[in-house]
Amino acid sequence: MPIALRPIYTIAKKEISDNVRNKWILAMIAIFLTLSIASSFMAGEGQIGDMERTVGALISISSMLVPIISIMLGYGSISGEVESGALSVVLSYPVRRVEILLGKYLGLGAVICFSILVGFGVSGLTIALTTGTAQWAAYFDFILLTMLLGMLYLSLSMCFSSILKRRVTSLAAGIVVFFLGLILGMIMMGAWMATGGSLDEMMTGDTSSMPDWLWFEVFVSPQDGNGAAAMLAFGTTEFFGFEMDLPPWISLGTLALAQLIWTIVPLTLSCIFIQRRDI
Amino acid sequence: MDESSTVIETKNLTKRFKDVHAVNSLNLRVRKGEIYGFLGPNGAGKSTTIRMIMGLVRPTSGEAYVNGRLVSGGAADIRNAIGFLPERISFYNNLTPVQTLNFFCELRRADKSVVPKLIEDVGLSESANRKVGTFSKGMTQLLGVAQAMIGGPSIYIMDEPTGGLDAMWVKMVRDKLKSLNEQGATIIFSSHILSEVQSLCDRVAIIDRGKLVAEDTIESISSGLNIRPRLAINSPGLNGKVPDWVLKVDGVEEAVADGDTLTVTCPSDARLSVMTALQKGGLAVKDFRTLEPSLEEAFVKLLSDGEVP
Repeated sequence: MPIALRPIYTIAKKEISDNVRNKWILAMIAIFLTLSIASSFMAGEGQIGDMERTVGALISISSMLVPIISIMLGYGSISGEVESGALSVVLSYPVRRVEILLGKYLGLGAVICFSILVGFGVSGLTIALTTGTAQWAAYFDFILLTMLLGMLYLSLSMCFSSILKRRVTSLAAGIVVFFLGLILGMIMMGAWMATGGSLDEMMTGDTSSMPDWLWFEVFVSPQDGNGAAAMLAFGTTEFFGFEMDLPPWISLGTLALAQLIWTIVPLTLSCIFIQRRDI
Repeated sequence: MDESSTVIETKNLTKRFKDVHAVNSLNLRVRKGEIYGFLGPNGAGKSTTIRMIMGLVRPTSGEAYVNGRLVSGGAADIRNAIGFLPERISFYNNLTPVQTLNFFCELRRADKSVVPKLIEDVGLSESANRKVGTFSKGMTQLLGVAQAMIGGPSIYIMDEPTGGLDAMWVKMVRDKLKSLNEQGATIIFSSHILSEVQSLCDRVAIIDRGKLVAEDTIESISSGLNIRPRLAINSPGLNGKVPDWVLKVDGVEEAVADGDTLTVTCPSDARLSVMTALQKGGLAVKDFRTLEPSLEEAFVKLLSDGEVP
């Protein structure tokens, strides 16, 4: 049965209106704007830094903050409304469960992406006016990658919300996945060093002894993948915080594709699970 | 029953949660234009049945049909015909009633110009611009009744529609349901308040532990259970004692005295004989009335001895 676009639009519009009404959008824009300007000043040692240095200072914070915001927006979107009973009322109307899910995803996604675009966009304009526009394309890639990270974690949190019965459990699952993404690099590096790897070699940029499975970390950890991709956009090859030559199969394109897969798979699972659960 | 007049039907509808049969092979039929009451003790399976009819809960087996269409078939447009009030109604706390009803109008593609009238109909005009999160349970319930009326559906399914309401609002909801039915809508509602069901319903279904115990008019269920109409006589001087000569009147099955009220179970053609006997025995008949079989009596009898008429 084909999916109708109109109910998706209605639901998405409601989610956007809610976040405009409760001023979440304004708050997020303010957060991103403040963060990026502050990072730029830090990178520029008291002056506005250029785009590459700004992103270098910003990436570690934004790759934590954006997932947290996405998880907060998404964790109660389905399980919370099932718990409260609101979804029972909505589903008494001629709208399908998948349409509700997609409407919420697109609406909440629009809120995240708009906030990132405006917040980082305005600071980007400020930086460009001050230091020049030489790296504007890379900075724009950074904004797109940050939006993708936001959509990725929104997809994950809504997937948990579709599967799990209670909103509290959905939140817990989102937090666990977030922290796993944060520490996965450390775990894999630890495993490599425990099996004979050496940090000294990485510091010199010598990657000859690094096994392939270690490189996969940037495909498995959304945060680290986002960070590596943002650096690649500026032509910097950085892995685990060290500059080194990356294998040819690690590129901006493959990393973005991995992030896209990380986004699509949980969303697809959400569509399957929401149709099966009792409301 | 004429199939074309059936708006809601369940066929062997079953829902099992692990080892518990919440609903067990339920077969119901609701006719077009009737007010159909759905009764049962707590945990009987009423809400689960309603939620399966609404497609919110998937049956373990069996089917539910709305206007001849299978509910589990996935077609969302089946619900165009239904106005639903769940047992535990909840809306979006940050929206006002106007914003809430506008949202639901969009989902149903209904004309938003009806929203002020709907709000007025349920007595929420003064709170039209307050956030729903500040509402009492009763006000939320009234908003729920209003949202169920969006688009003028032909079927109303209401799970405890007067729950949480005070007497004035209970009457308002009851009158509203009557009015909707007079306009041709089919109403199905579950309730614990037997007097409410008795006063409103054309037919009732009584379920217990997931199974249908009875489905018919109240009169038919009562007569099937041998619950007869009784005659209540106010006779000053009775003093709580049943006169022997009343019990000897032909046709009298039972007589109970409570103060000056004598309640006699007898056929209608024996009533005059009973009152004459009282007077001949020196007791006056101040007034009298007929007590029709109550749904409560039928309900209690059915659930206590499991008798099916």
